Amino acid sequence: MPGCLILGYDDTPSARAALDVAIEQAKRFDERLVILFAYAPPGRSVGEEYSEHRRVLEEFGSVATSKAADKATAEGVDVEVLLVAERPSIALENAARARGARLIVVGTYGESPLRSAILGATPHKLLQFSETPVLCVPAGPR
Amino acid sequence: MESAGGSRETGSPEVSEHGLKENAIGFRDALIIGIASTAPAYSLAAVIGLVVVVVGVQAPAVLLASFIPMFFVATAFYYMNRADQDCGTTFSWVTRAMGPYLGWIGGWAICVTGILVVGSLADVAARYTYIFFGLDGLAGSKVAITLFAVVIIAATTALCVIGTELSARIQDVMIIAQVGALLLFAVVALVRVYGGTAPEGSLVPKLSWFSPFAVDTPSALIAGLLIGVFIYWGWESSVNLTEETENSESAPGLAAVASTVILLVTYLSVAAAVVGFGGVGTAERFADDDAILSTLATGVLGSPWDKLVVLAVLTSALASTQTTILPASRTVLSMARANAIPSALGATHPRFLTPHVSTIVVGALATLWYVPLNFLSENFLFDTLSALSLMIAFYYALTGFACAIYYRHELFKSAKNFLFIGLAPMVGALVLAYLFFRSIIDLASPDASYTGGSFLGLGLPLVIGLGFLLLGVILEIIWRLGGHGSFFGRRPETVSPEIAAGRARVKETAGAPPEED
Repeated sequence: MPGCLILGYDDTPSARAALDVAIEQAKRFDERLVILFAYAPPGRSVGEEYSEHRRVLEEFGSVATSKAADKATAEGVDVEVLLVAERPSIALENAARARGARLIVVGTYGESPLRSAILGATPHKLLQFSETPVLCVPAGPR
Repeated sequence: MESAGGSRETGSPEVSEHGLKENAIGFRDALIIGIASTAPAYSLAAVIGLVVVVVGVQAPAVLLASFIPMFFVATAFYYMNRADQDCGTTFSWVTRAMGPYLGWIGGWAICVTGILVVGSLADVAARYTYIFFGLDGLAGSKVAITLFAVVIIAATTALCVIGTELSARIQDVMIIAQVGALLLFAVVALVRVYGGTAPEGSLVPKLSWFSPFAVDTPSALIAGLLIGVFIYWGWESSVNLTEETENSESAPGLAAVASTVILLVTYLSVAAAVVGFGGVGTAERFADDDAILSTLATGVLGSPWDKLVVLAVLTSALASTQTTILPASRTVLSMARANAIPSALGATHPRFLTPHVSTIVVGALATLWYVPLNFLSENFLFDTLSALSLMIAFYYALTGFACAIYYRHELFKSAKNFLFIGLAPMVGALVLAYLFFRSIIDLASPDASYTGGSFLGLGLPLVIGLGFLLLGVILEIIWRLGGHGSFFGRRPETVSPEIAAGRARVKETAGAPPEED
């Protein structure tokens, strides 16, 4: 079984930049690209009803990931798509560990460390506890 | 090679079909959620003075009696949630059971209650923050309180957009501290009343304080019950939780019972303590002023322990500012997705994945309501609370009726069905509907308003409460005139026998027209 790398994808500009880097990586190392969209299930802590919100997120995720998957497929990369109902940082780490991924690729907004911490940015969290190497891709002009 | 969106994983292995982790909610969590969503410290601070004004020493009795219709209506929430776990709750359920026109108004009532109460919550949080830090000058200044309250609303709205919630552990500690502080206050106050060290004017509690039948006049009892409904608002969340682990263990069910008992004990003992320690006069003097608890706490516990009660009210109001914005914005989301309001309101933020448009709209409208009204009306809180109770009674009653109607083909299949799905929701709904109409009549007179505020010869609470319902009807008609047949063309349905028997879960068609069988 060939190796793989995990891409956290939410169709924001930095995620699209990360997609380009991930495709490049997957081609160079001949690896499978796992495109992962994660969303925290809403309302768990307050016992709220949530289903409509979850449907919105799932629709959003499948549209976002299918765009990314199309692009990667067009470049001849072997693609797998995952939609996970979990906080993104945890979902990425779990998926990377379960598949023995070589690398996690995520986009960054290029925010200050304080702002990242306040907003709970995924790369910020991931860097703290991931056992898999993390590649952060800024959204800058490419 | 898989095509786009091909392989789907609903999550890590322990994630159940509907996305919640099974057994994610244990006894302690369910207990905490049950208590947290009712915000006991804030509810007491806001309501206890008013209840005493209306019914005197029978305040505990009214708090006890108002629990009964709430308990019955909670069974409706439980069974409707089982059939349809939509974040639009009443909106979605009433639409299914009683058609789109009533459903729309139910959703509107939820949104409006949320929008109206956020200002009051932030107001209390602001005032108690000043009191906590000993800034008594600022705590007495309306401008300072309003400014800080607006900051709190903005910050909470931002938090809801970003999707950050306080860590569960911090929340647990805050809730336990909240109930602990209230019980400490009640116990010390009662010990001092019985020990004779309470100040002049204190009363030794009598058993009749807890008897609803001892209330002087029926209209006083009705007015008290309507306010009492407000303090149990949100309690149904703890009932809904039992769904998640129903088949695996009875812990959540037990927790729902335990949280209810804790809530009742807290409410009754604090009510008895307030009336007993301060006498009726103190409570009447404060009436709508929520400073009643902090002031009495200073008398009961002395400095610095009185700060515990201040902190309890402060954290309770802060936490419920967030838990109030969330359901309102989720109902907006559900309505937007069902084509019942402009779909732009249902937009989701690409990065934070929260319904940011509806959240910001709710926060902005709450500010627009709170700031001018706070300066216009001296007794903003009182009139808003009475109006809110009116609307809460309205949509709870609607939900109760919806449950019995939605399950009507299942009611006679077993005694259990009849009692819990039919009779209990109906009784709860009838009581709340009666309260709703009786208070419309009672509140119609300006004298009924504590503030004496009136508009076109009607009491201000009634103008706020009914005015918003009428505004809803007008907006609904406008929306209907614009077409939107996919929503308004929906026919009432009934529950499928499989779901009623708990053998299957509903496919998540919530908000969207249901699939044809």
